[in-house]
Amino acid sequence: MIKLQHIERCYPLAKEKFFYVLREINLEVQEGDFVSIMGPSGAGKSTLLHILGMHDHGWTGEYFLDGTATHHLKPKERATLRNKQIGFVFQQYHLLDDLTVYENLDIPLSYRRYRTSERAALVADMLDRFQIVGKKDLYPHQLSGGQQQLVGVARAIIARPKLLLADEPTGNLHSSQGEEIMELFRKLNNEGMTIVQVTHSERNASYGKRVVQLRDGWIVKGDQ
Amino acid sequence: MFEELWQDVRYGARILLKSPTYTGIAVAALALSIGANTAVFSAVNTLLLRPLPLKNLDQLVLSQALREGFDPYESSLLELQAYQERSHSFESIGAARQRSFNLIGRGEPERIRGASIMADYLTTLGVKPVLGRSFTAEDDRPGGAAVALISHSLWQKHFGGKADIIGETLNLEARTYTIIGVMPPGFDVPAAAAIWVPMQINIASLPLTQRAVPSCEVVARLRLGISLKQADAEAKSIARQLEQEFPQFRRGWTVKLLWLRQALLGDYAGRVNKALVALTGGVAFLLLICCANVANLQLARGIARTRELALRRALGASRSRLVRQLLTESMLLALLGGAGGLLLAHWILPLLAVINPVQGVSLAGFFHEFRIDNRVLIFAFCVTLATGVIFGLVPALKGTGEREVMPSLRQGDQRSASAPGHGWLNILIVAEIAVAMTLLVGGGLIVRSFNRLQRVDLGFRPDHLLTLKMVLPESKYSEHRQRVAFVNQVLERLKNLPGVVSAGTTTNIPLEREIAYDARFSVEGRSPRNPNDIPITSHRLVSPDYLKTLGVTLLKGRLIEETDRAGQPPVVVISEQLAREAWPGEDPLGKRIKRVRPGQDFPWMTVIGVIRDVKEDLFNYRVNRPVWYVPYAQLENNFPVNLVVRTSDDPSSVTTAIREATRAVDPDQPISDVMTMNQNLARVLVTERFSAILMSVLAAAGLLLAALGLYGVMAYSVSQRTTEIGVRVALGAQPIHVLRLILGQGAKLTLLGIAIGLTAAWGLTRLLASLLFEVNATDPATFVSISLLLVSIALVACFLPARRALAVDPMVALRYE
Ligand SMILES: Nc1ncnc2c1ncn2[C@@H]1O[C@H](COP(=O)(O)OP(=O)(O)OP(=O)(O)O)[C@@H](O)[C@H]1O
Ligand SMILES: [Mg+2]
Repeated sequence: MIKLQHIERCYPLAKEKFFYVLREINLEVQEGDFVSIMGPSGAGKSTLLHILGMHDHGWTGEYFLDGTATHHLKPKERATLRNKQIGFVFQQYHLLDDLTVYENLDIPLSYRRYRTSERAALVADMLDRFQIVGKKDLYPHQLSGGQQQLVGVARAIIARPKLLLADEPTGNLHSSQGEEIMELFRKLNNEGMTIVQVTHSERNASYGKRVVQLRDGWIVKGDQ
Repeated sequence: MFEELWQDVRYGARILLKSPTYTGIAVAALALSIGANTAVFSAVNTLLLRPLPLKNLDQLVLSQALREGFDPYESSLLELQAYQERSHSFESIGAARQRSFNLIGRGEPERIRGASIMADYLTTLGVKPVLGRSFTAEDDRPGGAAVALISHSLWQKHFGGKADIIGETLNLEARTYTIIGVMPPGFDVPAAAAIWVPMQINIASLPLTQRAVPSCEVVARLRLGISLKQADAEAKSIARQLEQEFPQFRRGWTVKLLWLRQALLGDYAGRVNKALVALTGGVAFLLLICCANVANLQLARGIARTRELALRRALGASRSRLVRQLLTESMLLALLGGAGGLLLAHWILPLLAVINPVQGVSLAGFFHEFRIDNRVLIFAFCVTLATGVIFGLVPALKGTGEREVMPSLRQGDQRSASAPGHGWLNILIVAEIAVAMTLLVGGGLIVRSFNRLQRVDLGFRPDHLLTLKMVLPESKYSEHRQRVAFVNQVLERLKNLPGVVSAGTTTNIPLEREIAYDARFSVEGRSPRNPNDIPITSHRLVSPDYLKTLGVTLLKGRLIEETDRAGQPPVVVISEQLAREAWPGEDPLGKRIKRVRPGQDFPWMTVIGVIRDVKEDLFNYRVNRPVWYVPYAQLENNFPVNLVVRTSDDPSSVTTAIREATRAVDPDQPISDVMTMNQNLARVLVTERFSAILMSVLAAAGLLLAALGLYGVMAYSVSQRTTEIGVRVALGAQPIHVLRLILGQGAKLTLLGIAIGLTAAWGLTRLLASLLFEVNATDPATFVSISLLLVSIALVACFLPARRALAVDPMVALRYE
């Protein structure tokens, strides 16, 4: 599913000096895998996830997604590929404040080529599946943190991506709420979705199939 | 208290200096609108308010005769006499008659404007000579002495301002006048007069036909407590009595009293007044736009300063204390803007003087002097203070409210509490767009109307024409055949001058600011359908080549030729409109028409040609008024003989040659007002041009400010929405979606503003209706095209922030996690 080779990411520091956030990353993730990326703060976990999510293009190396060499793609093609393959869950949920739950779920569909009737069906489906039909007309601030993240996950997968990326999805949640989300991830993974999550907690990592340890930009454990 | 104020001022100054870009933009916007306000006010001041060298001008009125309720004429002695005997509204009444003199024996022969006046004229105006004495009843008696008053400038020019001028003589048209006084500097009423002589008539003993001629300027001073409206009503009822008493002269005529000031502006239709009101509205709107703009800037900055203000509150500052501090800042800003505005006005004023809307010829020294006097200074200062309060109040109140301040102190809560005054940004920008829309529609209508007026078919070709005025003195040319001979000799010489294509004479140059001659006519074999119909036509006596020279379009028949001499069968060339009125639906060629005047008999004239309508009459520019052209030689008259010359090159290049040619015929004959036809025409639409230019400048400034405001709000909004945009991109938003998001927001504000503006314009432009020509006050084309213009400018204003939104990198936007 994912194959990273010699990925490096650096930021210019001062004159002609660079600060390397990621070094020599080689990573393969098979379809159906559930990987947890762990490591101390500042290790580069989020950076790596954004590269996987194709939000960032300032890196060097090779990144194959589903056999496509993304490093050769034009921005537009990359965006299309990303829209087809990837869903993203944020630590801060990032639901759009002025939109209802229903509208938040509809947003990704509106950015892709779906017909209106199809969109309504998909959203209804998702509300049903996550048992939040009763909340569809509420605004994000009327929901608890756990409920917001539930919507966040629902929104991430509504366009049926094959790959789900999550950056500390339970970081802002109580442990019981966090478990609920992790259970959901496991279920999604069982249904065949590939998941890469960043987490600080061993417990969350235990839901996954394997762990990749990152330290100062280097993969120190879990590389096959 | 003072200590506190000083502290606020110092702190405010420091704050303003800290963000020079913001301060610069705000001050520039303020200077622009305060400057525009000051400039327009100084025009209002000059034209409507500033004292003139007449005493208590706000009591002085002019009586105007109106034919069929719209066609303005001078008054006749009939009215004067009736007012004197029957009216109770006037403290005093005076009359003057325009008259020009050929001054001989003092250098170049010169035509000098003057007037013969009744002794009461100057006392009514409240003007006394600065040297010598005024006319007495004794001077004004028939057969009285030949005495004259001269203007200050004539005294300077011809007598070097010497003190012992009284008793000197002037040789005016073969009569020697003794100078008895010098009028105050700048005084030249009526009609740019430089010499005043007594009228010396006894109205009662004059024949009725002479008394009925509308050839007087009647001025009156209202009694204290009498309003113009009351006096006008009384004058109208007197006019109705005259209509009954002298139906042969007065049927269909009424009178109208207007303020003398308005008459001196040449503004008989009241358009200068209305234009100034419209412009004042325009600058007020501009000021509102500017206030909204600066308020928005302040608000956006206030949001950035929320923490500072919250901290001050936490440290114990009361709300009123903070409001005062913020208002002090606004005032500082306003004062800077006010100073800039004054400077701007100082630069604009000379330009305003150039496009001066004054149609009149009198008191030019006063009406053309646009300057910043004390009244204007006070006005500018008040506007500045008001501006400071208007744009400072909302931000000050919003920025210091209890509810808004406290949440911002809670750490890390940046996202939950939406910034104070956020909604106000949107409200203000919508208001701004609405006001700009109204202003643009108003400006659009006035410009459109002006374009229509400019494109009005004049009926002749004004390019390559030179016009010169000549009046033949009765003393030297007492017989009409002498005048005809003079004209023929001059024209003969002109024709042979190099550079002259053709030349002719006319009794009135088209659209000139002089008394224009009219005639009543009667059509052979037809009594008027309605006895109240008094058909009138512009009356022009012209030389054979005149119409060809003017470049009229012949529709039928022929023009006047050399053979149409005295003694030959009388002929006439008429305009289309006259043909329509005299012979509706018939062929006028060969039919006969004649001038009628009680007590006089004129010959029947045969129509030999019909030409396209010519705009002859200045005060009837907006309608087609009938005109006929009669051979000068065939109708005895002592009207002016004005030269019109068509040239192959620049018309003014032949001036000297023409002067020499006339001097060769008569060395004593002066020529005056040498102008190209285009210079003449430039004076026709002065009021309209003034309002069109100013309104379009104002509207453009309003548009610019509104666009700037919209840009500011959108840029601010994009910076506030960075995270949201990042999320959307992460969720799959393509550039087009982001663009749509931002432009959509801008479009919503714009369209709402336009909708409100259109509604307001719909109501307000009706007030402009009387200024418009062939354009409806709710002209759909203007409304639609202005809306489109505003939408496209708004799109541009939103596009720049939208591009910044496109550049949002989700990585960066989401990074603070
Ligand atoms: N735009 C940038 N410019 C400079 N340095 C950056 C930039 N973005 C990230 N970094 C640096 O890259 C390093 C890795 O950041 P990253 O956000 O990936 O860490 P992380 O492992 O996700 O940490 P955390 O667990 O705190 O979320 C940090 O040291 C950070 O300072
Ligand atoms: Mg991170």
